Amino acid sequence: MGRVFISLVVFFIVVGAVLVFQATRGTSSLVLMPSELIARAHASDLPRIRVGGRVVDPIQYQTEPVFLLSFSVRDPKGGDAVVPVEYRGLRPDMFQVGRDVLIDGDFVGGVIKAAKLQTQCPSKYEPAVPGATSAAEGS
Amino acid sequence: MIEFGHFSLCLAWILALVGCVYGAFLGCRAGSSSQVEFTRRATVATSVALAMSLVGLGYGFVTNDYTVQYVWQYSNRDMPWIYKITAIWGGMDGSMLLWCFFVAMYCALVARSSVSYPRPLRPWLYCFLNSSTLFFTTITLYLTNPFRYVKSFVGSDGRGLNPLLQNEYMAIHPPTLYLGFTGLAIPYAFCMAALASGHMSNDWIRLTRRWTLVAWTFLTAGIVLGGHWAYLELGWGGFWAWDPVENASFLPWLTATAFLHSVMVQERKGMLKIWNIFLVALTYSLTVFGTFLTRSGIVQSVHAFASTDIGWVFLSYLAAIAVVTVGLVVFRFSDLKPARAIESLLSREAVFLLNNLVLLSICFAVLWGVMFPVFSEAFTGQKQTVGIPFFNRVNIPLFLALIFLMGVGPSIAWRRSSPRQLARSFALPFVGAFLVATALVWAGITEFYPVLSYAICFFVLMTILSELQRGLRAQSGITDASEWSPSNIMSLARRHRIKYGAHIIHFGVLIMTVAITASMAHKIEREFTLAPGEKFVVGRFALELSEFHEEEKANYSAIQAHVVVRSLKDNSILQVLVPELRFYPRNKETTTEVALRMGQREDLYLILAGVDESGAKASMKVFVNPLQVWLWYGAIIMILGGVVVAVPVARVTTARRVELGGVSQSI
Repeated sequence: MGRVFISLVVFFIVVGAVLVFQATRGTSSLVLMPSELIARAHASDLPRIRVGGRVVDPIQYQTEPVFLLSFSVRDPKGGDAVVPVEYRGLRPDMFQVGRDVLIDGDFVGGVIKAAKLQTQCPSKYEPAVPGATSAAEGS
Repeated sequence: MIEFGHFSLCLAWILALVGCVYGAFLGCRAGSSSQVEFTRRATVATSVALAMSLVGLGYGFVTNDYTVQYVWQYSNRDMPWIYKITAIWGGMDGSMLLWCFFVAMYCALVARSSVSYPRPLRPWLYCFLNSSTLFFTTITLYLTNPFRYVKSFVGSDGRGLNPLLQNEYMAIHPPTLYLGFTGLAIPYAFCMAALASGHMSNDWIRLTRRWTLVAWTFLTAGIVLGGHWAYLELGWGGFWAWDPVENASFLPWLTATAFLHSVMVQERKGMLKIWNIFLVALTYSLTVFGTFLTRSGIVQSVHAFASTDIGWVFLSYLAAIAVVTVGLVVFRFSDLKPARAIESLLSREAVFLLNNLVLLSICFAVLWGVMFPVFSEAFTGQKQTVGIPFFNRVNIPLFLALIFLMGVGPSIAWRRSSPRQLARSFALPFVGAFLVATALVWAGITEFYPVLSYAICFFVLMTILSELQRGLRAQSGITDASEWSPSNIMSLARRHRIKYGAHIIHFGVLIMTVAITASMAHKIEREFTLAPGEKFVVGRFALELSEFHEEEKANYSAIQAHVVVRSLKDNSILQVLVPELRFYPRNKETTTEVALRMGQREDLYLILAGVDESGAKASMKVFVNPLQVWLWYGAIIMILGGVVVAVPVARVTTARRVELGGVSQSI
């Protein structure tokens, strides 16, 4: 049991670690808020980024000659830092001002060139609105 | 009625606490039969109390009681009644209550059938069953209580369920998934009860396998339903995006699948005892971890998560599971020694172990990908993330290895196989796979992974068929029927239901693998704009926009594009697709409704992206997804296989109960 079992486990740990390490190194993106992105805008080695932000006015959406969605995002928790975004693709469902989005892409010339844009969609895991009292405490 | 729901929840909490504490007490000091029976009844009563609690909340939704904060937040008067019911689990608080009910329901089902289980096992079983219910009920009651009233008047109507959740899949997908998750509490309870009581025979593992199979089948169905919902509703042409929510359900599925294989090695050979305990505990921990992941806000997702401070509760519970499991394993270590060792790498037990290691490698890679933002921030101070390319790069080779092992495992002998036996079993499938790969390359498919995937699938198909043929040949010797006659096939399936049920599952996996490979490797994706009367050609179809149509519904308005799909071959009309753009004024949300032409060869997936300001042109996006429908067929076959395997085990277990009853008498 011991030798075969341990050999197999060690083999898989090594193979798994190599696969995971190589894939991580080749595909990871820096996660930034719009304000953090602006602070690092002049960094020459800015890698691929993922920005989580809240959509602000105005939104421009053209469908000819290509689908092009132009808008800006700010930090979801507020602040003045606003970063423009260009996304060549379909306007996602639920996309509108005030909605939180995840943007994957590159930061080029002060604009996020988005390769992927996802609107945070509602889920059954959303929090409740604060300010309520339990049934036991009465209305 | 809201007070009734809240009171029932409190009652359930008390009953679960009693069942847990009293069960442990009776486990430590041999109590009387009536005391054990009391604990059993408390376990059953907890589920009844939680059912009443759920009814109380449901009544609030059906009667539009907007004084209840949760009802106000997830319902409104315009919503059809079915969505008022599904809104019960439309938010975190209600979904936790549903979770509690399902855990308690499983516990009650086990408790009902547990009367004849060995006496030393029972109190500990009730203790661990109730500990799960107690944990989730505590969270629901104290941290995510859905029975809270709004503090100030908010108006006569609610905010309403989000439009994307107003979908018939909302009625079936979350409950099915939860039935999978919560069912995995049962194997953990059996495992811990066996360790705590010292009743370490293989009985607990047989009972555990049955419940794991039930939960696994529900979890499989839940995951696939989620993928199908995403495919139909979200309008990006895919079904799986390696999002944390999806991964949270996939992680326990992987470890449960590993356990369902390794448990056979323990049953047959008395090996891998500690390994199986590890797998059961890991599977349950991963279900708790998934709940933590989706309710703590520690990772970003395309799904909106609660950024609540309840994460520490889940982490504490996970720590408790780890401490209890390790503690009991150390305590019973002398009883967990394997009956024998793996003698050769060329044996079925070694292949099953390999299968387990591949599944755990996938599990580790997915977990790493999910938690990488947290790890990278902790160790480098800079948050980084990985996306779909990471998951595909790591998991595709591992999955192909897994599929290959799926063909090898059932056809290799226990203990040891000789090279000659292997050659006899696998030479033909290997040659077949090689010929398939050659033919594909000759036909112009030159990408490495698709060719490898199709070849491996063909290899596995041939091993399944040759295994079936061997079985039919032997069976026809008994029944005198011809090998491939329906009666011979049926009598073979009846005699070896578990074995051939597993083959059905494997066959479903094969079909899914081919469909996933085709839809990933050969997908066509195009964007275009058309005026009425104009055409766009994609794949073997011509799409012609015929007209626009506007529609007003109770809770939304819609603009529809009528698109005639013609065959390029003979210009015949195949179908009229009607993609929609919907606007929900109450939520101020715009959504797209996909129009889909499902076919055996490919799906034509059409989205209306927008209509220009003059209203004369429609912009659309189209996907041609080859063999997509076979993914769903494969999933249905897999689930059927799960049912086939689970049913006879249940029957055997009924028979075993009598046997176990006898054993318990002797104990």
